[in-house]
Amino acid sequence: MLQFIVRRILWAIPVLLAVTFFTFALVRAIPGGPFDFAGDRSLPPSVVANLEAKYHLSDPLWQQFCSYLIGDTVCRPGDDSGRASKGVLLGDLGPSFRYRGRTVNDIIATALPISFQLGMMAMMLGIGIGIPFGVLAALKHNTWIDYSATLVAILGVSVSNVVLGPVLIWFFALKLGWFPVATWAAEPLFSGIADKYIAASEQIPMWVNIIPKPTVDFFMHAALPVFALGTALSATIARMTRGSLLQVIREDYIRTARSKGLRERAVVVRHALKNSLIPVVTILGPMFAGVLTGTFVIELIFAIPGLGRHFVNSIGNRDYPVVLGTTLLYGVAIVIANMLVDITYAWLDPRVRLE
Amino acid sequence: MTENENLIEVSDLKMYFPITKGVIFQKKVADVKAVDGVSFTIKKGETLGLVGESGCGKSTTGRAILQLYRPTAGSVKFKDVELTELKGEKLRHMRRNMQMIFQDPYASLNPRMTVGGIVGEPLEVHNIAKGREKRERVQELLRVVGLNPYFVNRYPHEFSGGQRQRIGVARSLALNPDFIVCDEPISALDVSIQAQIVNMLEDLQQEFGLTYLFIAHDLSMVRHISDRIAVMYLGKIVEITDHNTLYEDPKHPYTQALLSAVPIPDPVIEDQRQRIILAGDVPSPIDPPPGCNFSTRCPRVMDICKEVDPTWQDIGENGEEHWVACHLYE
Ligand SMILES: Nc1ncnc2c1ncn2[C@@H]1O[C@H](COP(=O)(O)OP(=O)(O)OP(=O)(O)O)[C@@H](O)[C@H]1O
Ligand SMILES: [Mg+2]
Repeated sequence: MLQFIVRRILWAIPVLLAVTFFTFALVRAIPGGPFDFAGDRSLPPSVVANLEAKYHLSDPLWQQFCSYLIGDTVCRPGDDSGRASKGVLLGDLGPSFRYRGRTVNDIIATALPISFQLGMMAMMLGIGIGIPFGVLAALKHNTWIDYSATLVAILGVSVSNVVLGPVLIWFFALKLGWFPVATWAAEPLFSGIADKYIAASEQIPMWVNIIPKPTVDFFMHAALPVFALGTALSATIARMTRGSLLQVIREDYIRTARSKGLRERAVVVRHALKNSLIPVVTILGPMFAGVLTGTFVIELIFAIPGLGRHFVNSIGNRDYPVVLGTTLLYGVAIVIANMLVDITYAWLDPRVRLE
Repeated sequence: MTENENLIEVSDLKMYFPITKGVIFQKKVADVKAVDGVSFTIKKGETLGLVGESGCGKSTTGRAILQLYRPTAGSVKFKDVELTELKGEKLRHMRRNMQMIFQDPYASLNPRMTVGGIVGEPLEVHNIAKGREKRERVQELLRVVGLNPYFVNRYPHEFSGGQRQRIGVARSLALNPDFIVCDEPISALDVSIQAQIVNMLEDLQQEFGLTYLFIAHDLSMVRHISDRIAVMYLGKIVEITDHNTLYEDPKHPYTQALLSAVPIPDPVIEDQRQRIILAGDVPSPIDPPPGCNFSTRCPRVMDICKEVDPTWQDIGENGEEHWVACHLYE
């Protein structure tokens, strides 16, 4: 097991390096730069030149990539113009071009915990609704229960959050006034630790921010966005579960189980369900990675300061380090999620070995 | 004391699978007549062989008898209990007495369960044994079927086809049933292993007084193990008689054709063997021909065969039963 994890991490390194390289190359291939502003906000050419010099944007690309990767001390020896980057390999994602004075690490440390909390709750809701409904639809195959569950699932997949979000806000927040309209209200559970960092005016480390204090306010703010995102996820999960269970239930070994004289419920729970969850787990991995690193639409609609908007905005802003940092983070999330998927496989299916 | 010597009585059993169409409202458009009115009995301790080409409805017959499919029509009696009327808990308890060895040793074992789980589960479900006792019983069952008792913690994929089939046999024996449907227990296996499994099944029958319905798709396999043999064609049984009589004096043209395909170990007779090659394909069970089902391929077909169903009658002599459904003998 440990060996498996170590090997997977070693394998992930070249993959992530390739991701970094191609993202770097692609984002630089987009015309325009971080300091091109349109109209009257445009900067005088001398200022732009200064800024570009400050961020080394006029250096040769290979040198920029080199120092992004392994730091200024190696690739720009003798350079003392500003703060020296330690390089991605040491975990330094560099400064943001757009948010002056903030590093990409700071941005992620602030925004990721919020997206993570939202995504985690939405996933739990999605699994909690999706799997039972999928099972129910499969067991009541071709009855009105199946048809209505399928209809709801199709609606859930096709009615996008762009529609569902505002409808929820209008009805539950504005009309009924049950929930706040927008924003996120998470306080760190270990507020004592957080306060120390604030007092020293330092960035609060990510792990402190990630665990929220379970206050009423927190859950009230979370309710609508979690519901919107969770139902969308549950629709996909329910469809997968239904299809897969329908297939498993026709297998020979299910008939064997019946012939043993098991109750129908035991046949489903003990013999069918676990086998049918294998394809479901496969989609849960990437879904997890995607949702935990932020969802642009939901965060935009509910004005949640998560990471989702950075993925999108940074490209428009040509904020190269943020683009690279968020992409890399997503890559890491995918790698971890797939590793968890494989571990779950081994638990679900004894034929799979983690070697 | 008048005890019914028949353990199983099947009469006019039908199993139709509906074919449905439609996206939202499923409409039945036709039936697959997988089993279309079969009747036979199996005596206690006897082995009835059931033979027929692939797709003629042998597995379906076995499953319908055990109520793994609910029959469309007809009656199945087990020790005078009408199985088709049993439901829920009563049916569950009845399953203790009747088991099935499934055709496909690969697909019929849950890949997620250990051998111990597969074989021991019935014991737990029927509150026969738990924990340590269950484990011991499972190990004993493995020994009975010739497997190493230390295999309990292994998974099915770690075994060969023959070993898997033995696991299936151990599983079916776990509850001490009276009746076992052996659905082609050897056809998925190598020839060298087939004999081993058949011998084992025979020994087990001796030891535990089992009654078998032994399904096979060719006649060479069943002669050895069966007391009587039933020949099935397209959802119907065409002939039933003693295993020796069937080989020596087959009545139905279909049985004769099947037998002509069985190689004979004696080279002189083998040289003289005349193969009856049947023309055409088996008709679809969705739309069987009118009259006798075999009329489309029968080498001795008569006009009446294409219009009237042959009656199921006993034409045996000297008190021997020989049931056949053929106009040639009416
Ligand atoms: N669940 C089902 N739904 C619809 N049709 C079925 C079903 N099971 C079997 N059939 C059909 O019924 C017919 C008989 O099938 P069955 O499995 O009983 O044949 P068989 O004699 O056991 O053949 P084989 O020797 O290949 O095992 C076939 O035409 C098959 O397609
Ligand atoms: Mg079969």
